[in-house]
Amino acid sequence: MPLTAETIIQSLASGLLMGLLYGLIAVGLALIFGLMDVVNFAHGEFLMIAMYATFFLFAFFAIDPLLSAPLVAAALFVFGAVVYLLIVRFAVRAKANAGMVQIFSTFGLAIVMRGLAQFFFTPDYRSVTHSWLGGKTVSIAGVFLPVPQLVGALVAIAAFGALYFFINRTDFGRALEATREDAGAVALVGIDKNRVFALGWGLGAALVGLSGAIMAMFFYIYPDVGASFALIAYVTVALGGFGSVFGAFAGGIIVGLVEATTALILPPSLKSVGIYAVYLLVVFVRPRGLFGSM
Amino acid sequence: MTITRRNVLLGATATAALLPIAARAQTSEVVIGVIYPLSGASAQIGVDAQKAFETAADLINKNYDFALPLAKGEGLSGLGGAKVRLVFADHQADPQKGRAEAERLITQEKVCAIVGTYQSAVAVTVSQICERYQIPFISADNSSPSLHRRGLKFYFRAAPHDEMFSAAMFDFFDALKKKGQKIETLSLFHEDTIFGTDSSNTQLKLAASRGYKVVADIKYRANSPSLTAEVQQLKAANADVLMPSSYTTDGILLVKTMAELGYKPKNIVAQDAGFSEKALYDAVGDKLEGVISRGSFSLDLAAKRPMVGAINEMYRTKSGKDFNDYSSRQFMGLIVMADAINRAKSTDGEKIREALIATDMPGEATIMPWKRVKFDEMGQNNDADPVLLQYTGGKFVTIFPAQAAVAEAIWPMK
Repeated sequence: MPLTAETIIQSLASGLLMGLLYGLIAVGLALIFGLMDVVNFAHGEFLMIAMYATFFLFAFFAIDPLLSAPLVAAALFVFGAVVYLLIVRFAVRAKANAGMVQIFSTFGLAIVMRGLAQFFFTPDYRSVTHSWLGGKTVSIAGVFLPVPQLVGALVAIAAFGALYFFINRTDFGRALEATREDAGAVALVGIDKNRVFALGWGLGAALVGLSGAIMAMFFYIYPDVGASFALIAYVTVALGGFGSVFGAFAGGIIVGLVEATTALILPPSLKSVGIYAVYLLVVFVRPRGLFGSM
Repeated sequence: MTITRRNVLLGATATAALLPIAARAQTSEVVIGVIYPLSGASAQIGVDAQKAFETAADLINKNYDFALPLAKGEGLSGLGGAKVRLVFADHQADPQKGRAEAERLITQEKVCAIVGTYQSAVAVTVSQICERYQIPFISADNSSPSLHRRGLKFYFRAAPHDEMFSAAMFDFFDALKKKGQKIETLSLFHEDTIFGTDSSNTQLKLAASRGYKVVADIKYRANSPSLTAEVQQLKAANADVLMPSSYTTDGILLVKTMAELGYKPKNIVAQDAGFSEKALYDAVGDKLEGVISRGSFSLDLAAKRPMVGAINEMYRTKSGKDFNDYSSRQFMGLIVMADAINRAKSTDGEKIREALIATDMPGEATIMPWKRVKFDEMGQNNDADPVLLQYTGGKFVTIFPAQAAVAEAIWPMK
């Protein structure tokens, strides 16, 4: 492909939009890990459920994804909190081999969710066929920006802003921070650890819910859709620094831009090589991730 | 009681006389393995395939009045009316899982034949296992040309492969050029497993020998989260014809991304796969008016051959969908295999293989637009004529070759 200014700008713009969305998908994972050192291996399946929820709200009630996004986020909040209360709460209490128990509990949840989705929703590929924004594109001087991704990027920026405010400026945010610093000590000052963890899981899931609703506007939906995005989310979180919310934001942008620019130089089938190369570099040079604090 | 020599002789005779009956009683059912992706990214294909195979088994096991082999009468007459029982296995589109499942089907489930697999990459390993255990394997819907060229004795394919399909596409281009259309440049867009790679290699060869210029040859990773960079390159190349070889997921994303980046290809001629799936047209059909895909099946045939419509109805009551290029080939795969087992009058692998080699099924006895089913020494049926279908007004019509066409091609596509 000829490397003209136009193709370079288009690649960077597409990469940035996609990257912000990657960040939004990954931040829930980072939040939960930061809070209680548990990696949610069902993260991709949370995304899948959110996309299906958006699809069904559209198919049965004709609610546009833009309107259903807050509903889906709220539903996922409840779902996340319930998953914590019913599964993870018990997994982290395991007396022996706690790490393995945590991994397998969320990993098992992922498999169950996929299986149930295939059973109840069938493996057919679904799409939100027409939405207010779907399929629309704005073109600025020959650079095309798809409206759903553009709105998705704006939502991601807004969500990160709100999250930053929430963590640093509210009582609950401080409780969240305190619990992650020392879960034992907060109990002494009367903070209910379980409540904080449940809300943390809810918040993390709600953010995935938000990204799922946006994704449903331009991506196809099927029971395994979470898998490829979850993989990117893990890389994003590891790159940005495990547990760091801002790290997920930066990591997402980096992944998006690296992916887009790799495809300019290498054949597209190798475009993930760039992402993993950067990831490896970070692991070697700064194992805790760019913004990680350990 | 003393056992005399005469008693022993009598007993032996009686046993010998009873043996065939015992043997017949044992083969009251014929177990055939069916191996497909029933979960994972292409589960939808496997679940639809399951319905196609069940339709075929239904036709074989019950009495229907169709001019299709085994439809009349119940079960396999050559084996005393034995019923066909299908055992489904899930390979999740993974060649290694396919290998393990094929082995399990043969050793645990005792299947006498296997049909599969959708992904050509999985057919490679499954057919190797079948060869080792001397169990006949039919590629119902794999289209990679390299599959039948591996010197396997137990490999058979009744449907066309991608060289035949691609040759039909280039024949079509040549015919259009004669009519004064301008077709000079091609863009290839293909996924990175054996299906996409074989398809694009064939198309590159054909393009070179027939004098077309390939301006972009883009290989992408299957199930990519984004195809923006790939589409940008297609857009920059802006060829006269875009030729994708993509499974359903990537097909949907390709069409959506092209629209988002403001790229409207002049023409699309697709190597089937995703582009014959209802899911793709449900999702993005409005952007695909006039797209052409190769195929080996067309519902148009029902006008000439009423049983095609009737069997399609049977399939639709099971699956809620019409036969497409895949489900029709899956259906025929089981019919061809069961027909051979019936003529072999045995579930022995070698005998079934001999019967498959002797297969000569006239086209009228199938639901396909094929001349006939007859395997060459490599197990490929060369009389399966491919067709090109164009998507117009929400359905596919046959536009090529001339003898099968029911409508003129609309070119350029919009």
